[in-house]
Amino acid sequence: MVIQSQSAPDHGRSTKYLDRTRMNNALEQAMDFGATYAEIRLMAETTSSVRLKDGQLEHAIPGQEIGATLRILADGAWGVHSTTDISNIPNEIESTVKLARAVAARRPSGSKPIQLAEIPILQDEIHWRPKKDVRNTDLQTKLDMLQTIHASANDDDKIISVACGWSDEHLHTELLTTEGMDRTWSFQRSMVNGMVTARDGGDPVSYRMRHGGEGGLELIEACDLGGLGEHARISALRLLKAERAPSGKLPLIADRDLTGVYIHEALGHPCEADLVAAGDSCLDGKLGQKIGNDIVTVVDDPTMRGGYGAYPIDDEGLDVREKTLIKNGILTDYLNHRETAHHFGIEPNAGARAQDGLHHPLVRMSNTMIMGGSFTDIDELAEDIQYGVYACGSRGGQVDTGRGSFQFAAQEAYLIENGEITTPLRDVSVSGLTLQILNDVDGLTKDAKLASPGFCGKGQTVPVGDGGPIMRIREALVG
Amino acid sequence: MIPDDAIDRLLEGCQSIAKQCEAQGIQEWEIVASQGYGRSLDIEAGRISLASGGGEGGFGVRVLQNGRYGYAHLVDPSGAEHAVSEALSIAKASPQIEGFSLPNAMDASPVEGMRDDAILNLSAEDLLTQGDAIISEVSSLDKRAVVIGGGVGIGAEAGVMLSSEGVEASGITTSHGLGVQVSIEENGQMTSSWESCSSRKLMEGIPSCVPMAVEWAQKTRDPISVETQPVDTPVLMTPQGISSLFSNIIRPSILGDRMVRKESFWSEKMNDLVLDSHLTMLDNRRMEGGFASSSRDGEGVPTSCHTIVENGVLRKMIWSSRDAAKNVAEGRIDEAITTGSASRGSHMSPPTTGCGDVQLISSNKSQTRAELIETMEQGYIVHSVMGAHTANPTSGDFSVTTSTILRVEDGEIKGALKQAGVSGNLFKAISNGVYLGTLSSKNGVSSTGSNHLSDILFSQGMRINPA
Repeated sequence: MVIQSQSAPDHGRSTKYLDRTRMNNALEQAMDFGATYAEIRLMAETTSSVRLKDGQLEHAIPGQEIGATLRILADGAWGVHSTTDISNIPNEIESTVKLARAVAARRPSGSKPIQLAEIPILQDEIHWRPKKDVRNTDLQTKLDMLQTIHASANDDDKIISVACGWSDEHLHTELLTTEGMDRTWSFQRSMVNGMVTARDGGDPVSYRMRHGGEGGLELIEACDLGGLGEHARISALRLLKAERAPSGKLPLIADRDLTGVYIHEALGHPCEADLVAAGDSCLDGKLGQKIGNDIVTVVDDPTMRGGYGAYPIDDEGLDVREKTLIKNGILTDYLNHRETAHHFGIEPNAGARAQDGLHHPLVRMSNTMIMGGSFTDIDELAEDIQYGVYACGSRGGQVDTGRGSFQFAAQEAYLIENGEITTPLRDVSVSGLTLQILNDVDGLTKDAKLASPGFCGKGQTVPVGDGGPIMRIREALVG
Repeated sequence: MIPDDAIDRLLEGCQSIAKQCEAQGIQEWEIVASQGYGRSLDIEAGRISLASGGGEGGFGVRVLQNGRYGYAHLVDPSGAEHAVSEALSIAKASPQIEGFSLPNAMDASPVEGMRDDAILNLSAEDLLTQGDAIISEVSSLDKRAVVIGGGVGIGAEAGVMLSSEGVEASGITTSHGLGVQVSIEENGQMTSSWESCSSRKLMEGIPSCVPMAVEWAQKTRDPISVETQPVDTPVLMTPQGISSLFSNIIRPSILGDRMVRKESFWSEKMNDLVLDSHLTMLDNRRMEGGFASSSRDGEGVPTSCHTIVENGVLRKMIWSSRDAAKNVAEGRIDEAITTGSASRGSHMSPPTTGCGDVQLISSNKSQTRAELIETMEQGYIVHSVMGAHTANPTSGDFSVTTSTILRVEDGEIKGALKQAGVSGNLFKAISNGVYLGTLSSKNGVSSTGSNHLSDILFSQGMRINPA
């Protein structure tokens, strides 16, 4: 049931968890049983999370987790076995081949067998080493940093609660395949977050904050933690006096955070080729077609170091690259993995990501951004708006990729009246239809960059980065 | 599917970690272990695209030293020395909670319906056959309909808890779940519906969520246009429509820690009317086959069924032993003890206060959906929402989107809207003018997880904003 204990790989060299000889023999055995492709992907995670509630340590949880997934393609169908019992993987080869064949036997006539696009076969190690390895950060250092956020966030009588959190992870992945791939890679992510709750006699309000990305302690040290807490406090206090948002179709300006969530939900998900292939995307058949305003160019880029969605190699062993999904309003690419790249006859672009060692890879986003436009700042975007909404900060979003409808929510917002940003608003959400609203983006500021780190759920949860410039939408459904 | 000696192996691991706790002089310790086994299949584009199996698990250790606690988790008990040492060093850095000690061993009676050997005996081939049957059923119900996503899964989980206070508990639970995304694409119009259901018992044949997915993909075709004003309007939420909002807004509001910190909308409202006066809300940790039920909570305390709201009046909040001791020690409340409401996400997380199976019931006669529509006269039926996670749990305000919404006029369904915003305040909406339908859970099969809700007609507090 359990694995042999091993210490985490040290900083200079990489300790391998998979026994190459034994696991390669097992993979060869899969081919003997009739597989056309097989892989073993292992991920070892060293994690730490800390939570401070009202200035007191609520919990600190160090963890070591490991898991591996055996994925076998036989007769054009997948069989998968995931386990924390790494040493037992060779014993699961035959049953997993049989599982794949049982799936293949059920394939409807006319349905194509799964094939994989070819990719370079490499044997190497890539380690994105942080400037300051977060595994060496002691608990007191983390507590001191969280106390800095707490102190500035809590500095008002109307603040009734402040929760601050820290999370970091060192991820070590190994991939062996029957094609001869033998790659090992590692990187780290670090993040601080918090939530401020305020009350002034009436209903309580809350405001969330997050800072982090791919990297080690240096990412957190570079953040103005006091400023982060202060911003959350001021925003929460402002929400106490905010009014309910107007409902209806209105001009909308979204800040960088919301622009990121918008493009993630409205375009990123429908661009995932596994959903397109399944018939669950409104972008099916639209490659090469104009789907947005000329000013809209969107990239998904896992090479963007520091972004929360950055990673050096995708979970099928392909080197990562920037993907341009929309160029000047034209849909130019889907996010894909090897299976969907072959299905659509397009080049694989390293979009395969798995939540951890116990999950198989799906097509996922990484760091997704709208590129900058020509406007100087928000004042220039707002000057033509008689009555609209400026929405800031993200409380998340969701999309129905098939219908092409999406929703995202703002942390705070303001009315725009006669070109001026005026009354604070609360609980603003925005919804729309992907194919309509991409045409309604009619203004972008020049300065595109990633915003706060986020998480994306699609059966599996993966960290992502989103962002862009400040964006104006001609008309959106605001609630 | 699950090894015969699964419990013994977990217990052995717990005992070796316990020895390490004792070797390091830990006063109080508590170790949990879990090992899950499962089989599943994915469905895409009208076919089974992948089948998988496997197992995962690990151990979590909570140590308590002079009222200070620390936690660590690990996969392999041979790493216990390091994990216990880390937990102990965290405990030393943690604040002391006066009066906090791990719960003593108490007898707990089992909850029925948590394990079905038929699931343990189900083969991969059996599961694939069910997957095939679902795909065929959808096609036979409507030849245009295709299962474009979803899957079927079964699972079994062995769990063990061992503590210095004499708690030694173990058990095996099972589950069977399925979800289907059904779409109908014809004449350039695509509609779809996601439905799911789950049970601790084997769901034989075609569960009712499958035809329901087809039905809603059909019902939402050929949308009509509706002009409405942004004012409160009657809305009938199906169990699937209300459940995610209920989870994000109502469930957190009954947690003791949030109540006394004034983070709940219901803070300082004990013994006040908070729901419509015919409504009673139960937090039931002993529901037969309940997904949030068990004989003991996450700290080993025997579980109960708590009446949180009785005839509309808030009567109780729920606690884990740690949260109770902490808030008493910090003076937020004079008296609080565990209600057997400690929950754990997995072995990787320490116990925190959490809800069990939550039921909303009415002393009024329940109505059928047709009767509720007649009662509503004018309004909307909402079957699913997007963005419930963006709701504000402290204020109850929400603004979500739906693509499964029907317009009701003169007590009759007139047609579907393509998309609409649904906004309001759930605390206010549920406080007056509420009508409940007949409970939809059948034979232990739930379409809404650990929320056990019926159709709910809200007469006020909700607004619809057609796109």
